[in-house]
Amino acid sequence: MKKYIVGILVTLLATAVAVAQVDRSKLPSSGPAPEIKIGEAESFTLPNGLKVFVVKNTKLPRVSFTLVLERDPILEGEKAGLSTFIGEMMLGGTKTRTKDQLDQEIDFIGANISASSTSVSATSLKKHQGKVLDLMADVLFNPIFPQAELDKLKKQSLTGLATTKDDPQAISSRLSRAVVFGKNHPYGETETEKTIKNITLEDVKAYYQTYFKPNIAYLAIVGDMDKAEAQKLVTQYFGKWKKGVVPTFTYPMPVRAAKQAVALVDRSSSVQSVIDVTQPVKMKIGDPDYISSRLLNQILGGGSASRLFMNLREDKGFTYGAYSSIDADKLVGTISASASVRTEVTDSAVYEFIYEIKNLVEKGVTQEELDKAKAELAGSFGRSLEQPGTVANFALNTARYNLPKDYYATYLQKLNSYTVADINATAKRLIEPDKFVITTVGNGAEIKEKLAQFGEVVEYDNMGEPAKKLEAEADMTAEKVLQNYLNAIGGATQVEAIKTAKISMDANVMGTALTISFVYDSQNGRYGQKLSIAGNVMQKTTLSGGKGSVSMQGKVQEMNPEQLAEAQLNSYLFPEAVYKANGYTATLDGLKDVDGKPAYKVVIATASGAKLINYYAQDSGLKIKYENPASGDTFYSDYQTQNGVLIPMAWTIKSPQIPIPLEAKVTSLQLNVPVTDEDIK
Amino acid sequence: MKKIILLGIFLGWIILPLAAQNKIEFKEFTLDNGLHVIMHQDNTTPIVVTSVLYHVGSKNENPERTGFAHFFEHLMFEGSENIDRGQYMNIIQSRGGTLNAYTSNDITYYYELLPSNELELALYMESERMLHSKVDLTGVETQREVVKEERRQRYENQPYGTILPETLKRAYTTHPYQWAPIGSMDHLNAATIEEFQQFYKDFYVPNNATLTIAGDIDYNKTEALVRSYFSEIPKGTKEIYRPKVTEPKKTAEVRDVIYDNIQIPAVIQAYNLPPRNHPDSYALSMLSTYLTGGKSSLMTKELVDKQQKALAVAAIPLELEDGGVFLMYGITNMGVDPKDLESEVDRLIKQVQDQGISEEEFTKLKNIMENNVVSGNSTIAGIAENLAEAKVIFGDTNYINQVMEAYSKVTREDIQRVAKQYMDLSGRVVLYYLPKSAQPATE
Repeated sequence: MKKYIVGILVTLLATAVAVAQVDRSKLPSSGPAPEIKIGEAESFTLPNGLKVFVVKNTKLPRVSFTLVLERDPILEGEKAGLSTFIGEMMLGGTKTRTKDQLDQEIDFIGANISASSTSVSATSLKKHQGKVLDLMADVLFNPIFPQAELDKLKKQSLTGLATTKDDPQAISSRLSRAVVFGKNHPYGETETEKTIKNITLEDVKAYYQTYFKPNIAYLAIVGDMDKAEAQKLVTQYFGKWKKGVVPTFTYPMPVRAAKQAVALVDRSSSVQSVIDVTQPVKMKIGDPDYISSRLLNQILGGGSASRLFMNLREDKGFTYGAYSSIDADKLVGTISASASVRTEVTDSAVYEFIYEIKNLVEKGVTQEELDKAKAELAGSFGRSLEQPGTVANFALNTARYNLPKDYYATYLQKLNSYTVADINATAKRLIEPDKFVITTVGNGAEIKEKLAQFGEVVEYDNMGEPAKKLEAEADMTAEKVLQNYLNAIGGATQVEAIKTAKISMDANVMGTALTISFVYDSQNGRYGQKLSIAGNVMQKTTLSGGKGSVSMQGKVQEMNPEQLAEAQLNSYLFPEAVYKANGYTATLDGLKDVDGKPAYKVVIATASGAKLINYYAQDSGLKIKYENPASGDTFYSDYQTQNGVLIPMAWTIKSPQIPIPLEAKVTSLQLNVPVTDEDIK
Repeated sequence: MKKIILLGIFLGWIILPLAAQNKIEFKEFTLDNGLHVIMHQDNTTPIVVTSVLYHVGSKNENPERTGFAHFFEHLMFEGSENIDRGQYMNIIQSRGGTLNAYTSNDITYYYELLPSNELELALYMESERMLHSKVDLTGVETQREVVKEERRQRYENQPYGTILPETLKRAYTTHPYQWAPIGSMDHLNAATIEEFQQFYKDFYVPNNATLTIAGDIDYNKTEALVRSYFSEIPKGTKEIYRPKVTEPKKTAEVRDVIYDNIQIPAVIQAYNLPPRNHPDSYALSMLSTYLTGGKSSLMTKELVDKQQKALAVAAIPLELEDGGVFLMYGITNMGVDPKDLESEVDRLIKQVQDQGISEEEFTKLKNIMENNVVSGNSTIAGIAENLAEAKVIFGDTNYINQVMEAYSKVTREDIQRVAKQYMDLSGRVVLYYLPKSAQPATE
């Protein structure tokens, strides 16, 4: 009855309020700030040194276990890339479970298990916790590291590396890290084909045995579990884990550039430039400037209302987005601002970046900006607390960074206590506007000169190594380069003795076997090229009787005169031997870098303008690259003597049309054999 | 030791029944103007989500004006009589909040996530949107450009981006599901300002909306605030247009080739589904998980790991109010003929139809479903959305607490049965996505 009366009262009250008109002309003001309660993490340590945090949250019948290793960053050197394999290798099978069995058993209980070089984590429903811990412990303690799994991962990694060499974002990040930290710093070194190939199963095992030790590990348990239960389970599954001595490392603090400098990777096909303005900063979570640096960054480039975004996107329209970051890190952090901009405005964008940074440090922020930044950061802090994992992270950070116990409990108070003067002082302490390194990845021919106004422009290659300064000798000519090439492969006489050739090559693209074949018979104006998969001709090019055609999957197209001229120019096995006689011209276009080798670039052209572009190694004189803007680049290697002439037996074809480089090996080479019409067809 | 573990696994799936869901408590009421309001209190974190679900999607559109519902999702951020143009997002963000919206074939959904002391602001903003949003020429012109860019980025410039529109076009002959929410740019260009204003009057009315508030709230105070901000909004005067057509069952396979800016061919199959609230939806969802959910699923193991004919395979039941489509796609491995992949996919479907699934696989599916249902209610934003959909699509807000029960009713036989009944080869759509370079020159 009482309940009923209360109900009526509430309804009456509600109706009464409804009658009152709200004032829609102004925004409702904020209610009293709610108390932000941050959940408590309980902790205990096993005798073997494993530190455990338990964040009990019974909202859902789930539980997660996250094991994290706290080790110093490692300089991997000749084995760079090793740590990227550890996690997948641990999930590659255990003493009692193959990879298939592991996959099935994890899926069977609707769970997830993942691993990396410094972590293993597992999530499942509460009722499957025993099973998921059993699987997690198996992955952690009994991995067998199959060789086949490493081979597979290395192959994938090499494929990935090949794609990043063309990816401006990846090049930019590699360049920036190399320039800011140096190649001999864990944050600056890069994995290469060579270092990946260097990695052995022994390295993986050694890493695992060295670093997976309880005395450097934290285990965070979040969800439906209390401390008593956690203690029992952790002891059961992780109690026998043996301690060990884990090596520690120190590294010199990277030095800021003495003065503003520009690092450039020339990527001639770029239509956009990736710009990154960076300097290292000594800053970790808990430092006096840490929280104020969050606010500072929010104002400079933390979101879609920041100064950088408003200037470079909203006002100038240079880019889709411009952002900044101030990253805190135990070893060394970075202050960085970046954007991808249209090639034409590269220098203008760099100018605006520098202007905004300088302006921020010299003139400071406004009260309005600070209030907004506080609201944004406090809001996102509050929202993050909905995830119970956040509390575990706070506990972890408190331990890792030796923070005061109430650091996160009073985080919002601290955040709100900063004044404009505090933020401005932080800006002056952290940022030195004239000591940034400006890295750009873009079309060098268009942007290099314009960038000189910002400092000395130093060129790098796509792996972040200084580009070799290449200049052809003053007395070098195209004619000499081509003559040297003919001499290097066996001499003009030997070359001219080869009249016809049939070459067949095999390649493999992601499991599919391709066959590529060429037939050369230039004396009779004939040429044929075919690409087949499983015996079916997918594509072919044919020249015969002064006509040419291209066919794709059975559809034939006749060449127009322009295409025909270009195809004819491409139809010689040794164009260098015949270019003069045919009335073509040859031009030397300097000494260039071809995958780390200096090589002369020579353009052979017909009167009608068709071009054939080849690169000849400076040291050996051999032809190492054929460049074709339409179909991609071919790299020649593994020269072997046939009929007294050196011929490349390995061709690597890189083209925008294929996702990974095509490695083709010559399987059959027949010289001076009769060529029939059937061969050309 | 190994034996004991195996025994444990075995016992594990026999003795553990599906857990009851943690019950989601809520209160609801309806205003005189027809606005339905759902509240869910959870005081663990001082945040609140405020959402409005308008029961209008692309299926409510005039066939000559497709894309309207989605266009409105953009237009509704333009401001109102009291909120200046472009300020909607700024206001929410500067009070520490975040916001977003989406449009489907059935609904348009808006939400704000804010500190809980900003509940009144959120109610004010949503009530402004419902009462007198700005629908004017400037806003329409601006958003046309934005939608054009969105269209480029998400459909035209995105490899395989047109799969959904191309599939829907062929999967429906009669029902307005035949066009996707992005609609037609020509239709949007041709529309007059009066047409946009009429759409707002027709569909953005309280009797077509569900307001959901979840998080750190007080039920009574929240109800009072809702009444003060939403009661004055007039009820719509017309009956809401909802298509009443039934898509006839297809009797012949529809097969087509699409040439796209892609490197690697893909095979798409689509099978028409029953209405979203049909009891078979649960078995179909389990079937899709059996086929492609997780590293150990049938098609992933067989086609991606073992035969390596596919780079990736996925089966997605696109569940819609009046009956969606069961969409399957496989991206071929380099050099694999799409036909080879398709015949393997068909073989595996037939295997399920003929042999059903094993008891062990069935238990695995139940476990995965249980994990998904439990995890689906892990955030207040997710709970708000699930509550609103429960009311609007399933007709009962308490449906949110009955999902697990519905899954537990599905039997092994049901999964085999729905595989036979719905994955009907003679009524399906099959599309091959091929690289443009493979397009015959004559076309």
